[in-house]
Amino acid sequence: MESYLLTIITLLPLAGAILLLVVKPNENTLRWTALIISLATFALSLALPIGFQSGRGLQFEQNVEWISAFNLGVRYHIGVDGLSLWLVLLTTFLVPLALISSWNSIRFRLREYLIAILALETGMIGVFIAMDLFLFYLFWEVMLVPMYLLIGIWGGERRVYAAVKFVIYTVLGSLLMLAGIIALYSIHGQFMDRLHGPLAGNYTFDIAVITAHAKDLGFLSMSAQRWLFWAFGIAFLIKVPLFPFHTWLPDAHVEAPTAGSVILAGVLLKMGAYGLMRFNLPLFPDAARAYAPLIATLAVIGIIYGALVAMVQPDLKKLVAYSSVSHLGFVVLGIFSFTEMGMQGALYQMLNHGVSTGALFVVVGMIYDRRHTRLISEFGGLARIMPVYSTLFLIVTLSSIALPLLNGFVGEFLILIGTFTSADLPHAKMLTSFAATGMILSAVYMLWVYQRVVFGEVTNPENLKLSDLSGREKLALAPLVAMALVMGVYPSYFLVKSGNAVRAVRSALAQAKPLRAASSTVPPRTND
Amino acid sequence: MDTSSLGISYHAILPELITATAAIAIMVGDAVARKISRRTAGLLALAGCAGAAVAVFSLWGETGPAFYGGMIINDPLRLSFAIVFLAVSTLTVLISIRWIEDEGLPAGEYFALLMFATTGMLLMASANDLVMIFLGLEITSISTYVLCGYRRQDIRSNESAVKYFILGSFSTAFLLYGIALIYGACYISGAHPAATTNLQLIRERIADGALFSPRMLMAGAAMMIVGFGFKVATAPFHIWSPDVYQGAPTPVTAFLSTGSKAAAFASFSRVFILTFAAASVMGSPELRELQSAWTGVLAVMAILTMTIGNLVAIVQTNIKRMLAYSSIAHAGYALMGIVARDWQAVAFYMIGYAVINIGAFAVIEAIARRGDIRTSLSDYSGIGFRSLGLASVLSLFLLSLAGIPATAGFVGKLLVFKSAWGAGFHMLVVIAVINSAVSWYYYLRVIVLMFFSEPAAEFNPPSLTKSLGVALVIMAIATFYLGLLPGRALALLENAKNQATMIVAK
Repeated sequence: MESYLLTIITLLPLAGAILLLVVKPNENTLRWTALIISLATFALSLALPIGFQSGRGLQFEQNVEWISAFNLGVRYHIGVDGLSLWLVLLTTFLVPLALISSWNSIRFRLREYLIAILALETGMIGVFIAMDLFLFYLFWEVMLVPMYLLIGIWGGERRVYAAVKFVIYTVLGSLLMLAGIIALYSIHGQFMDRLHGPLAGNYTFDIAVITAHAKDLGFLSMSAQRWLFWAFGIAFLIKVPLFPFHTWLPDAHVEAPTAGSVILAGVLLKMGAYGLMRFNLPLFPDAARAYAPLIATLAVIGIIYGALVAMVQPDLKKLVAYSSVSHLGFVVLGIFSFTEMGMQGALYQMLNHGVSTGALFVVVGMIYDRRHTRLISEFGGLARIMPVYSTLFLIVTLSSIALPLLNGFVGEFLILIGTFTSADLPHAKMLTSFAATGMILSAVYMLWVYQRVVFGEVTNPENLKLSDLSGREKLALAPLVAMALVMGVYPSYFLVKSGNAVRAVRSALAQAKPLRAASSTVPPRTND
Repeated sequence: MDTSSLGISYHAILPELITATAAIAIMVGDAVARKISRRTAGLLALAGCAGAAVAVFSLWGETGPAFYGGMIINDPLRLSFAIVFLAVSTLTVLISIRWIEDEGLPAGEYFALLMFATTGMLLMASANDLVMIFLGLEITSISTYVLCGYRRQDIRSNESAVKYFILGSFSTAFLLYGIALIYGACYISGAHPAATTNLQLIRERIADGALFSPRMLMAGAAMMIVGFGFKVATAPFHIWSPDVYQGAPTPVTAFLSTGSKAAAFASFSRVFILTFAAASVMGSPELRELQSAWTGVLAVMAILTMTIGNLVAIVQTNIKRMLAYSSIAHAGYALMGIVARDWQAVAFYMIGYAVINIGAFAVIEAIARRGDIRTSLSDYSGIGFRSLGLASVLSLFLLSLAGIPATAGFVGKLLVFKSAWGAGFHMLVVIAVINSAVSWYYYLRVIVLMFFSEPAAEFNPPSLTKSLGVALVIMAIATFYLGLLPGRALALLENAKNQATMIVAK
């Protein structure tokens, strides 16, 4: 079944960006146009969960030939399954909020700013829906450019350093992935050639096809799996970021403008975790199993390290950035527990983190807009001056530290249970208990910072004349807070839809049979 | 030998005839009409390119036997590369019209030389004989020596021309020596004793094992690698290129770094892939050893070339010099295609590279102004928003050079990397990938300067002339077209590949 819906959702923001490039209205019209386009994208994307059938795999598919010369086998193949469905929604949900939250804070080159954000949205959605490696890589890389510009042009003081660091880290990872893609493509093609004789369709970049073959035919030898696991894995682990690849993140988060931080934390980091689940687990299951203890350990180190470093940050934004390192550690831990609960929890935690960290960046951005400082010591006693702000900030804080009934709890709880019961991780119980201390630490740093900013006497007279949230700012925060509640109370609506995809990943992990012989020997013909 | 067996066919050399005629017309017109206007000269050159392109397409599908006693061949390699050369020349003419007016230089000789150089490049691709390759190479080289020194009042331009001339002649000597050795190696005794420079015969003799001395052939091949290595500017024969590229007038640099390189790659493919490699497949163990020897040497050269090019580009402070090193690095990537024996990938790489590199030089030329004053990297700080159009397209071309997907640069890279991986050169691909990551740094630095830095003292955005604007729009569209919809271009090359295997099989 062909469906153009995903294509439209993906390209609508880009079309909007081109529209903004061509017409030259005044600033307000520019903002409204961008907002309406992103809202329209969100509205369209709402059709995805409504039409999505939980029991099936890839849906809303479109699969047409793209480049066929030289048997290159590049296809325009897009679709969503349980892994990507909610991430697409998260993207379309966060972008309008990011636009609203930075409504007045961008004064310089507004038009180019809006174009960058809209182009970025296309790139992000594209990464999640691409089911062809060529297409995936295209979106993955192209998305870098607007993000780079967002940090570099509209960022803070050390923006150039942060932007360049961000790009170099990401590019190094993604070029290794390119080598991995070429290798995977060649190995797969050569294997199919040997199996069926040289046929036209043997060489393909199609992710669904290669994944199915990896599961059914096990065409990758163990050593090939090991190499490819890291070729893909490093790209994703940098993006997540997993300790010790995380050092680009605090710089990028702190220097980016508010909308950039929201999108960076909310969506970009998820791409790494998504990539791990989409590629590393089902394609290289044996290598994944072999390296799971290592990666899980790094994840736990990241959880604790991120939390400890966050605790001592004097800068609010930096604190949120390091808390991301900690939270994303949970996600990676859940993924590499290889249990259904752990992986479901990881997926859910990805959404939670998008909502609550996105909200935290919005919250920080709001007081930065007023005071042009983010130092915790500059604030104190905001509860009396900005009551609405303080209330919303409190809910966001509690969501971030995983209070039951709020979204964060569901994800982290699932991850911890999944890890605890994991059969594939040695010392699973110890890892779990260390990870659980991360939860406690997160409560410590978040509540402490909340106390220092919001409670107590107003120590700084400059804070006395701060105004509470305007209608626009409430509008930017309210949906996030509402989502935190909804996702905390009614998680099954989300989890049911992703269950099938997670089980597919698990069965790929379980059934895979590594090609023991060297890949050069002729494999026996399978009766298919 | 009667004349019919000589295979005289004017159709077969129509593209070369047209560009040569255009060159002569410009020259004579210039002499007779006492300085024809720059615009007329440019238009004549454009007409020559367009006519030659039509001729190339009319030859498509008529591939087959050799002409002129085996001197000229009309095969897919020739036609594919001819398109590359004509695209390069057309774009160079388009970006030159404004430049030559700004500089106040005589246009007649300039465009005539450009057309002669194009003729030489076309001959290099259509040559089926080592002597013919040499001839084409010399026509190209001598024209470009003069073009490098075309701003004769400028001492850097003079330096560029002299350096290029001396080192170029030196490398030509190597090539000639190689040709002589191969000529001797292919001597056969018997009823009709003869040596040969004809590539068809050389291939047959290698395949039959009827060589006078395989070792001599190996020495000859080594000399030819040196000779072509100079022209392509591969390490360690790249030393001349930064000085020459920096000093030469910017449009000439654009032409040199794309056109001459592509021409040398065409001959490289002709001799090493279509002759040596094609023959060695069926040859003796000794010949296969020869084959693996030159493949190994070229693989090492490719690694050296891209690594040196990229590393040295990082520390440059002059944008032309930086792009000179970048073009060394790109020669390294393209060389991977030769190593993998996939000339189609090289051809696609070169056409993509030509578009984006000439594009980058076109913007640099517009910003540099008369006399190449503003070519330092610091001149680019903060110009991004003052001249948004130019800065944006320059960013596009630079990103494409870095190999960002959706643009021509990426597809070219993907093709050569894929071929190299498929041919078993895994380490080469990994090194190339790491090199690409390095190259991002210096390409991005220009974007950082343009958009993220404070403006430098004074900068008046250059006004765009019609020809330059048209050229930039064409190149920007072509960058995306080749990057997103490369299917058509690749299908042309694929046809070419099938035909090439047919011809070799004959």
